[in-house]
Amino acid sequence: MSPFHRTFSLWISLLFLACQGLWAQAAFPSAEGERARYAVYIELPRSYISGVCILLHDGTDVKGSIFNEFGISAMDFAYRPQKDKVKLLSVQKMLDKWYIRKRLKRDLRELVHVLQQGGTRYVDEKYHITFQLTPLQE
Amino acid sequence: MFKVRLIFYILYFIFATSSALAQSEVQIRQQINQAASQMKSMQCDFVQTKHLKMLNDKMVAKGKMYYRQGNQLRWEYVTPYAYTFILNNNKVLLKNSRRNDVIDVNQNKVFKEIARIMMNSVVGKCLADEKDFKTQITTVGQEWVATLQPLRKDMKQMFQQIILHFDRKQSVVAVVELLEKNGDRTVIELKDIRKNEPISSDLFTVD
Repeated sequence: MSPFHRTFSLWISLLFLACQGLWAQAAFPSAEGERARYAVYIELPRSYISGVCILLHDGTDVKGSIFNEFGISAMDFAYRPQKDKVKLLSVQKMLDKWYIRKRLKRDLRELVHVLQQGGTRYVDEKYHITFQLTPLQE
Repeated sequence: MFKVRLIFYILYFIFATSSALAQSEVQIRQQINQAASQMKSMQCDFVQTKHLKMLNDKMVAKGKMYYRQGNQLRWEYVTPYAYTFILNNNKVLLKNSRRNDVIDVNQNKVFKEIARIMMNSVVGKCLADEKDFKTQITTVGQEWVATLQPLRKDMKQMFQQIILHFDRKQSVVAVVELLEKNGDRTVIELKDIRKNEPISSDLFTVD
């Protein structure tokens, strides 16, 4: 094998490994103990929220936590696949209004559906809210 | 007579101890305030660990911090995400991979508070914020530990407690702990702290 072929093969192998790592991080947790970490960006009509979203499958539910870059929690939620329902476990006081909670539950459920199908973007057409998740590398 | 004398001694002991403690707390505050006022600049690396109670997980982020007297602070996350917060007097720049936003803190109460707390925590000035926090200072080994209980409603909604760990030798904050109502805890460790070294103005450019 020529040096060029050797280098080329090495690059392909490295690229393959890197992609594997990316897929492992991006995969929506579907079995107990699986986790996923994303950088989250939520674009609202007049502002935006950015931070981190961590998901964990605990055997029954997929539990999720969203917090900003400084580590301050925005919300904790649980998605139950059997019932296809999202329960908000805690929400930052600023977002803790009944109409926001109602919309959040709906949007998070739709976002989970997108993630389950391998997507990373969900748009709430009615309220013009865009959720964009990017897998985080450790 | 013996009982009266005993009560007197007990009262004297309690009074003397509390006054000695109060005095030492005052001295610690003075030392920290003095160090803060003498600090023209500070730069360091930081490691931020968010402990998530519900998920029994933690998230580690790393970055760099630069402070310059005159309300200038750059707080930059390098990994695993890129995010920069720059405070320069009354303006804040928020920079992520998607956009840059400049906010006038005088027109945004929330940001004014965030900026003030970040700045005052880093240099230890928030010990003087008696309106905002009830503070208790203790000495633990080689550090002073200041426990801050928020007094204002908006702060109470966000934090249960803020704990600042000061390095006694340098009189600077070494660790900041943010305890939230949901049981989550964020620990920010400041490492390789360098004081009063020149820092380029470009790092604080907002516009």
